[in-house]
Formats: sequence, C-alpha cells, structure tokens
Amino acid sequence: MRRLFRLSRPASEVSRDLSSELQFHLEMRTQELIASGLSPEAARSAALRAFGDVAQVERECRGISERRVRARERQDYMRGLVQDLRYALRTLRKSPGFTFIVVLTLALGIGANTAIFSMVRGVLLRPLPYRDPGQLVFLQQPATRAAVVNAQFSVPELMDYRAQSRALSGIVEYHSMPFILLGRGEPRRVQTGVVSANFFDLLGVQPALGRTFRPGEDVGGAEPVLVLSYGFWKTQLGGDPAIIGRTFTMNDHVHTVIGVLPPIPQYPGENDIYMPSSACPFRSSEQMINGRQMRMLTLFGRLAPGVTASGAQTELDAIAKRLHAEYPGDYHDDQGFGIVATPLQAQLTAQARPTLLLLLGTAAFVLLIACANVANLSLARLVRREREMALRAALGADRARLIRQLLAEGFILAGTGAVAGVALAWAGLGLLTSFAARFTPRSGEIALDAPVLLFGLGLGAFTGLLFGLLPALPSRVGLAGALKDGGATTGSSQSLRARAGLVVAQVAVSVMLLVGAGLMLRTVLALQSVDPGFDPEQVLGAKLDLNFSKYTSNELIQEFHERLRERLAAQPGIQMVASSRGYPLDGRRAFGFDFQIERHQRDPGEARPQADFQAASPDYFRALGIPLVTGRLFTAQDGPKAPSVAIINQSMARRYWPSENPVGQRVTTDSGETWTTIVGIVGDVHQYSLDAAPVDEMYLPFDQVPLREGALVLRGSADAGTLARRVKEEVLALDADQPLAGARPLVEVRGESLAAPRLTATLLGIFAGLALVITAAGLAGLMAFSVSQRTQEIGVRMALGAARSDVLGMVLRQGLRLVCIGLAAGAVGAFVLSRLMAGLLFGIRPNDAATFALTGVVLLTIATLACLVPARRAATVDPMVALRST
Amino acid sequence: MAGSDLYVGTLDVLILKALSWGPMHGYGIGRWIRQTTEDGLAVHEGALYPALHRLQRKGWLDEEWGLTDTGREAKYYRLTPVGRRQLRAEISRWRAYASAVGAALDAVTA
Repeated sequence: MRRLFRLSRPASEVSRDLSSELQFHLEMRTQELIASGLSPEAARSAALRAFGDVAQVERECRGISERRVRARERQDYMRGLVQDLRYALRTLRKSPGFTFIVVLTLALGIGANTAIFSMVRGVLLRPLPYRDPGQLVFLQQPATRAAVVNAQFSVPELMDYRAQSRALSGIVEYHSMPFILLGRGEPRRVQTGVVSANFFDLLGVQPALGRTFRPGEDVGGAEPVLVLSYGFWKTQLGGDPAIIGRTFTMNDHVHTVIGVLPPIPQYPGENDIYMPSSACPFRSSEQMINGRQMRMLTLFGRLAPGVTASGAQTELDAIAKRLHAEYPGDYHDDQGFGIVATPLQAQLTAQARPTLLLLLGTAAFVLLIACANVANLSLARLVRREREMALRAALGADRARLIRQLLAEGFILAGTGAVAGVALAWAGLGLLTSFAARFTPRSGEIALDAPVLLFGLGLGAFTGLLFGLLPALPSRVGLAGALKDGGATTGSSQSLRARAGLVVAQVAVSVMLLVGAGLMLRTVLALQSVDPGFDPEQVLGAKLDLNFSKYTSNELIQEFHERLRERLAAQPGIQMVASSRGYPLDGRRAFGFDFQIERHQRDPGEARPQADFQAASPDYFRALGIPLVTGRLFTAQDGPKAPSVAIINQSMARRYWPSENPVGQRVTTDSGETWTTIVGIVGDVHQYSLDAAPVDEMYLPFDQVPLREGALVLRGSADAGTLARRVKEEVLALDADQPLAGARPLVEVRGESLAAPRLTATLLGIFAGLALVITAAGLAGLMAFSVSQRTQEIGVRMALGAARSDVLGMVLRQGLRLVCIGLAAGAVGAFVLSRLMAGLLFGIRPNDAATFALTGVVLLTIATLACLVPARRAATVDPMVALRST
Repeated sequence: MAGSDLYVGTLDVLILKALSWGPMHGYGIGRWIRQTTEDGLAVHEGALYPALHRLQRKGWLDEEWGLTDTGREAKYYRLTPVGRRQLRAEISRWRAYASAVGAALDAVTA
C-alpha cells in the first residue's frame, strides 16, 4: 500500500514538506466533514476552526524541524569525516612502506624548519624584552681613518651628548668589569655592570624584587647600592627572599642590595650584579671623569617620541661636529671620529642574521624537496588507485567526497609528520641554542613557544593540503576514463610527466644545497688550516683579574705575578709560565693606542700610527711557540726600572718599516716624553679570530706595564686538569681572597673559535645530505614506476633482439637525462644564490669551480646508483612473461 | 493550546500509542485520538503537529514519505525503537499517576 521512496530531506525542503503536511490534514478533514453532510464551504471553515491557528502551528513546527535537520546534517558530516579518516588509516596501513617514507620525509622537513624557525623567531623576530624596544638605539663612536668600528665614549662625551641631544629622550651608559664580592661565603668574582642611574628606567625593566636605581644614585658621594641579576640571586644566594637591605663589601666599601632583576636576558652582556657608575672606583676616578679621551663607555639611547633613528643620526652628527670644533686636541682629523646610532635590535642580531637566514632558506629548500617527494609518491600511488577512485565515483561518491577522502589521507600523513617533526625540533633545541649563542646574545630567547609550534603545525597543514589536493587535480581527467581502460590509464602519462618535472626540481634544489654545504665545508677546512701563529698543544691560558681595591699599584700587581710565576715554575710538569694581557682567541679585545715614530714626519692627512697593546713576560713567546724573527725576546733584565723596550709583530714591522730594520728604532706614546726601543720582531698571531687577518701589535714587558686584568699562560706536560688545579691552588695560596677564572687548554680555545662555522657547515651538510637521500629515493621511485609501466614495451624490444645491456642503458639514459637537466638548472641557481653567503665564507669564492664540479660528480654518482636498481630490474624482464601479462 | 489543561505529556503518550499499530500520517493519528477518546480532549487539532515534530526531534519518531490509499503523497510517522521503549515507560508512568490521583480522590477521610 505504501512505497518507500525517500528517507529524509535537506533543511531547505523542511518548509515545503511542512505546508504540504498541514494542507493534507485540512483537506482530509474537509472531506470527512463533507462526507458527514456539510457543504464544502462549511466543511472547509469547520476544518480550519478545529485546527486552530495554522500559521502559528506552522511556525512552531518549522522551528523544531529545522533544528532537527541541522543537527542531523552535522552528525552526518562528522560521521562521514570519521569514516574518511578510518578509511584513510586503513589504506595507509595497507601500504606501510609508503606511509613510513612519507611521514619520515615530512618529519625531517618540518622538524628542520621548525627548529630553524625557533632560532629565527627567538633571535630576529621577537621584540627585545624592553618597553617600546623599537625606540632603543645603540650609539657607536667610530674612528674611520684609524679603522676603529667603535672607540666607545668617555664621560665628558656622554655628558655633552646627554645635555645637547633633543632627538634622544635619554642616554644611558654601560660598562662591565669584574670585581670581588666579599660577604656571605667565599669571595666571589662577580662580573659587574656599571651603569647610570637611569639605565633600567630607560630600558623599561621592572625589578622582580625591591627597586632599581633612582636618579642621583650615580652622583659622586651617593650611598653605594647594588642590583642583583636574577641568575646570581638564584644560584649564588639561594634566591633568599630577604636579600633586600643585605650588605656586601666591594672595593673596600659596603654596598647595600636594593633590588633583583627579573629573569630576562641581559643586554649588552650578562652580568652578575649591577652598580651605579659612582660606585665603580675606576669610573669615578678624576682621570675618567675629566678625560675626554678616556673612552670606555657603551651608550644606549631612547628616541624621543616621533623621532626616527635617521632623524637622531642627523642631530648627533651636528653635535659631534660642534664637539670636534670645540676640542680639536681630542678629535684628531687623521682619526676620523664620528657617531652612529643603530637600532638596538639590529645591532644585537647583526652577526646572526646572515647565518640564520641561510639556514632558514636551506631548511625551506629541504621541505620543498620533501614535499616534491611526497607529491611524487602520492601521484604514483594514485595511478595505481585510479581504478579504485573511478569505481567509488561510479558507485555514487561525489567528487567533493573523493577529494575529502584524499585530504583525509594527506592530513593524517602531514599531521603525523608535523608532530614527529616538532618533536625532532624540540630534541635539537639545546644544540641550536648553544649554536646561536656564538653569534648573538639573544640565544637565551630561543624556545619552542606557541608561535613556533603554530609554525610547525601550519607547515604540516600546508603540506597536507598540498599533497592531498595535488593528486586530485589530474584525477579530474582520470576518473571517467579509468574504468573504460584496461591496464594503462589515461592519467598516467600525464602524471608521469608531472613526476619527471618534480624529480628535475628536486635534483636542482639538491645541487644548490650541496654547493652551499660544500662551500661551508671548504671554509671550515680553510679555517682549520690557518696557521694561528702559535702552538696550542700543551698550553693553558687563564684570565687573572686582581682585586681592584687590593692591588692598587703597579708594584703590587707586578709582585703578585712574579711570585705566582716562581711558585708555578717550581711545580713538576710545568715547563714555562708567563704573565700577559691575555692569551690568543680568549675573546678579550686589547686596547689600541696611537704612537709616533722617532724621526718620522707624517704626511698631512696620513693616518696616525696605531697598534694593539700587548703585555708579556719573557717566557710568553716560548710558551706559545711564537717564533722570533729578528732581534731578541724579553729577558729578566727588562724589569720595572730598566729602559722601556718593545717587541713588535711582523705585520706592524711591514706596515711602518717596509724597507728598514725596525730593531733599534724608537717610538713614543706620550708625544716624546718617554721613548720605547724596539728590540725584536715576532711572528703574527691570530689574537681574535682565525678568519681575520692578524692586527698590528706591540708587546711590552709585563713587568714594565703590569695589568690588573691580565692572564697567565703556561706550557706543561701534565694533563690539563692537573695543571688547571695547580694554578688555582697557587693563586689561592698567595691570596685567599683571589678568585680565578678556570685555566683552559688552548687546543680547546682554538677548537671553540671554529665551532660556529663548523656547526653551520654541519647543519648545511645534514640538510644537503637529507636532500640528496630524498632526491635519490624520488628518482629511484620514478624510474621503478616507469619501468613497471613499460614492462610490455621492454618485452617487445627484447623479443625483437634488444640485449639486456641495451635495456639497462635505455633506462639509465632516461633517468640521467632528468638528472642532467636538474643539474644544469641547479648549477645556475647555486651560482646566483651562493653569492648571498659570501660573507660567511673564508678562503674560498662563492662560485668556486672545484666545489661545483665535485657537487656534480657526487650527484651524478648517487643518481646513477638510484637509477641502477630499477634499470637492472628492467634488464631482467622475461620477454615471454612480459608479453603474456597484458 | 496544546495540553494547556491536560496532564502534561498526554498528547505525547497518545501519539506514541497511536503509532504502536504501525506508521500513520498526522491526520490519521488525529482521527484515531479523536475517535478513541470520543473527542474528550478539548484541544485544537493543530496542536498535534508541534507535538509530532518535537517527538521526531527527540528521536522517538521517524518520518517516511509515502502514498495514501487515494494515491496522495503524505508524510508518515513511525515509532523508532527508542520511541517504542518510551511508550512503555510513559504508559506505566501514566498508570501510576492515574492510580495515585484516583486513590487520593477516592479517600474517604480528609
């Protein structure tokens, strides 16, 4: 009697169904009433009366039904989605090899990108942890003609700029010195930031505890106060909550703790504690306060509202010009003093930027290759699945549903890859942070925070979308035809072309990455083969900063060093001990100074002679293996009372005495009041870095210029740990209040100076290797697929007399043709892009032919191997089987 | 309107009962209620429909479209398994209620 012809209706039809339902009721009721004897009109109105307010009922019913239909639609959609995901999981489980390769490829690609992005964000993108960091500028006073990037500022200069600048709403000073902190346990060597009272206010740093400095606390005679860094307070003082108001003794004065800084990274450098400039005995000396040439302060400024950095620069230039005119004796024309204001953030990250951007670009390339590979694999799989898709389409699955199906697979793969990738990035974070620390003080801000996680997962979503949809594009052609065709499907030749294109792109990108890695590797090799000018084997260096308030005279310093050297030299296993300003590559910059050469008239405009100042006791050169070129080394006779003598390095000798023997010549640093005789020339030493040329240096006997902030160098046959312990013991035996920075083997110091380029090379190498493996896998996959598609053709060829070697050659030729196209494209790309990394290279040009050639050879070898596997399979095709298997 | 002076849910339980014989369209259900209660429910016939839609939304009824004996297309309601369980529960609840109220009304002492 009733036939079921539809089950449910979409929301749009609810209202039509409803009115027909109510209409049906009214009609039936009317007929019933007519049958009982009423006239049609009377029946109709009686039916309506019995029914009540039709419009009201209809409204009420529609509300209920629409809610029901919408809920059902949502439910259907979710059920479909779950179904799709389950189906996708089942499909992926059926091809575990494909799934594993894709997830692994994506995890590596996404992991590399997430990790590098976390560095880029922490270092380059994240704003500095200060109030309105965009307004902060770093001030530098270059002396361009003397090749000095930043001579820093003196106290009178600070006062002048502060008084005259309107473009800067404030200027703060900073310098850092080691002091000795007494009280609460053993004496501690504390790195102390010496700052003006407005330092923290200008930066906008709120204390975690107590307060920061108040105006007036940096004026001479103010009560000495201290602000502790968070790290020092936590680790050295156990985070004592009652620390405010406690006192410590420094430089023979009692200092009161007034505050603790929040746990934010400190710029420009990490310090244990901070004191106002008036508390620093060095900074508050008469000589510093009045000496316009006593430049040792680092200055920061905050731009006044509405002023740009370039606006401030114009004003500062004008002030500098006035100062130069007012004090001509302090700004010699031949030194070319100036002033430069740079946004602080740019200044802090200038060194890291090129490396990080290079790595980010590289990581992006790796992800690109990974995506290409996954797309390639998906295309290959889709060709095999074209019949399945067509069947499903014929059974009523609409196109949107099929695409959703493909997307579900894509998102499962990409999602798993993204999660694994983020885990990889997380695992590598510690390594990357220490890597970045070599370039920038901001490395502490690197973290896998929400934006980085979003970045990683966003990459995952993007790749999921990409290779979920990519296979769906050719399927537009394929779906209809696939069912009709028997074996070879219509989409396959098209997709084979697409896949060949992908492989060519992969090869090209791999070439670029290999060239980059190769150039970086050659840079490291070149740096490693740089002769540092000293022999680091069996040598230790230790920084030795004596207590400022205890060792107040040159005599006391000299005596301490002499006694220490005697005690150490008496120890077994120590062959040589020397006192010095520092040791090579210790990261502490020497002071540069001007000098005049006796009987030497400078041409007008010629730069004033300049050299870096070094101090060394007699055994210094022998301990470090620095060769004596001519003249003599220092001896015990070059004592405090003896005539002033100096040894210069070869670089300085060549510059100022190109055609004479400098030995016996005299120079002066005080306009002729005292003269120093050059007694010898020694070899050049890379004091600051292996990639920079040695600078001009003049060594003076340590006993004649004892340094409170100096170093100890010793050569010994005992192992480094024993030697370091002995140094510490002997220092404490002489002065129990004297802390010592650890003695370090120079081999280690030298290795560390290479760590940054080595790590960059390692990362690039890993990325390039990854790219190569992925590309090889893609190539092998493509060739294998192509061979399997051509089995019949190969069978025919062999039946017609082609030898196995012909078939092998044919497949190899086909693969290598793609490789060669990619190689050529990649070489062009590398030629263009490698210029961008010129600044990171050393001892090699970015278009180095050998690196390019080697890259080509490596790539061709790997590619040939990758093609060989499928080619051999093609060569073993049995013609009879191939022909029959139609 | 619907069940304003009725025990709440009376209409619902009657609809479920009507459908316990098999699928019916709205008019059929209304007619069955009118006949079996001998027009004892003083409500507008229209009140039936919001009740039907509400029960459908609760998942107690299902709809299907079919042809009537006269060849007209009409919406038929059918009890779902949930609806059938609900009918049993409603009936026993109604009986308990009726007997409780009845007992109270029959009490001889106040």
